[in-house]
Amino acid sequence: MSAIHLKNLTKSFGDFAALKTMDLEIADGEFMALLGPSGCGKSTTMNMIAGMEEPTSGKILFGERDMAGVPMGRRGVGFVFQNYAIFTHMTVRQNLAYGPRMRGAAKAEIDSRVGAIAEMLQLSPLLDRKADRLSVNILQRVAIGRSAIMEPAIFLLDEPLSNVDAAFRAVMRTELKQLQRQFRQTMVYVTHDQLEAMTMADRIAVMDHGVLQQVGTPLEVYNNPANVFVARFIGAPGMNLLKGRPAESDRGLVVDLGPLGVTPPLPDELASAVRAVRGDVLYGFRPEQVVLAERGLSMPVSFVERIGARTIVHLGEGASAVKAVFENDVELSVGHAAVVAPLAFSVRVFDAATGLAVKAG
Amino acid sequence: MSAVTATMSEGDMDARTKPATPDEGARLGFRLTLPAQILVLFISAFPLLMQLYISVTDWSPLSGVGWWNAWEMWNSFANYTDLAADTRFWSALQRTAIVMLVCVPAEFLLGLALATLFADDFPGKRIFYSILLMPMMVVPAVAGYMFFMLFQSGGPVNDILARIIGTPLTIAWLSDPTLALIAVMIADIWQWTPLMFLILLAGLVGVPEDQMKAATLLGANAWQRFTTIVLPKMKTIIIIALAIRVIENFKIFDTLYIMTGGGPGVATETISVYIYKVTTQDLIWGYVAAIALAILIVLSIVAVYAMKRMAKSREVPA
Repeated sequence: MSAIHLKNLTKSFGDFAALKTMDLEIADGEFMALLGPSGCGKSTTMNMIAGMEEPTSGKILFGERDMAGVPMGRRGVGFVFQNYAIFTHMTVRQNLAYGPRMRGAAKAEIDSRVGAIAEMLQLSPLLDRKADRLSVNILQRVAIGRSAIMEPAIFLLDEPLSNVDAAFRAVMRTELKQLQRQFRQTMVYVTHDQLEAMTMADRIAVMDHGVLQQVGTPLEVYNNPANVFVARFIGAPGMNLLKGRPAESDRGLVVDLGPLGVTPPLPDELASAVRAVRGDVLYGFRPEQVVLAERGLSMPVSFVERIGARTIVHLGEGASAVKAVFENDVELSVGHAAVVAPLAFSVRVFDAATGLAVKAG
Repeated sequence: MSAVTATMSEGDMDARTKPATPDEGARLGFRLTLPAQILVLFISAFPLLMQLYISVTDWSPLSGVGWWNAWEMWNSFANYTDLAADTRFWSALQRTAIVMLVCVPAEFLLGLALATLFADDFPGKRIFYSILLMPMMVVPAVAGYMFFMLFQSGGPVNDILARIIGTPLTIAWLSDPTLALIAVMIADIWQWTPLMFLILLAGLVGVPEDQMKAATLLGANAWQRFTTIVLPKMKTIIIIALAIRVIENFKIFDTLYIMTGGGPGVATETISVYIYKVTTQDLIWGYVAAIALAILIVLSIVAVYAMKRMAKSREVPA
């Protein structure tokens, strides 16, 4: 087990800066998800931790140890590839034994270690199966077992669930999380799927365009996005953001949303912070934290998605489009106006110029 | 009630669209492929049968009767008993085997080394790649003349060797029995290593990169990766490449014939050269047919073995 420290890490491929700057502390035994859209630099970061690519500048430390120049075979890193990269021409046993065998371990020792790991991962009955005809959850276990047998300090997982069909992903997520609890290793998990990050990770590092946007627990990232990108990226659908101008009223500070009217007054702590902002702000609230009310934002319904457990109502259009998610079906139909009000505690305000969250207090 | 009617009418539909018995389907298939089957029969089975027929006679184009009347010259199995006692045939066969056992492994190892080199990028790769493939495109007869001239006692090979050593050299490459065989093998290796290289490179590029990375992460060094991942994954393609070259090399003729004519004496007389001589000089075609049939059997055994191995390794796809 080992902590990982990334210090001022950058990576360029020619003129293209894949990773502009990255400072991240991953604690010993932590499950950290690197989350972002494709091309955000998350895989590059992971490859540098594994030693498949050398950083352009900056440092990678495992605990106290500087990893510069340490080849990937010697980093003590377990890597689970997107498609698992199981050696298909070998049996499960040969796959599991591969690492110790390459390091010249004695036959008896290999056998006992393979036996132990197979027992732990419930692979014992499958040991002599050829690895090319295994189901995907077995492949995942073999991939993890093959790395785990080397007792790596760190486990890196590169979108291991992206090739799995949706119905099976939930099973795999649970299994993966249980395995992590079992091994208690530091795990870095790269994904573009926020659901995976939210359900499995201790903390999430949200990335975009080679820049780390926010690091925090799943709920922190969800409740208090650090900027507009995180606000829009996390959550399905993402946070509603409406452009407006802070204005004083007799009830307190409100945001003037132009044609949509004015918002209810902001909570006191938030209001004082918003007063410091010069220029426009973005008024944000989660689609899930909206109620139908007498007073609020009056907008035409443009589309209603009824997906059983939830109903997603699309309101307005263009820059002032808003989505609202309701637990139950609602009596709204396209073309009619609806009046929605965000719950006061859920309101977040962002500086329109910088995109950064305006923090209360 | 209605459900039952539905099932019945469905059954009727089946009867009308599909052939009633599998037997009938097979018969239809046979009729449809009959023209192709006749063609295949004509171009492969017919010559084979004709060869078999002639091989038990003393027939030759000079015997004055058409080949279909060769039965008049029936000699029981004299050709085959002659063949068993023909020392020139057996030494030609032995020579062919030696050439094959030197050339094919040499071509394989050189081809594999080059393929490994070309699997990575290096400056000027495309140019070297084209140059490397050129020998394969040269007409074998032209390659034969090239090497014939290169290996003259006053030719470039001796000249270059002399410059390296510092003393004049007049090695009689093509008139020394051992050196002539070596020269012929060098020409074959020069010409056919590119083919081996090309096939093996295709196999090498097909080795999944992430499995290589996974092996590296698990601590395998370059040699271990090669033996535990690359070679097993390339097994099928290696068998194909070797089978192609074994069969082709067994029939080695044009380059060799132009360089040495099978000489000096019979020093480079391989099986094809021997057959050629018996056919054109001795004109005993009944005997030629017997030799050719014997060789066909040997090569078929090689081909069947290779195909069996391939089928076996295909059970474990890459």
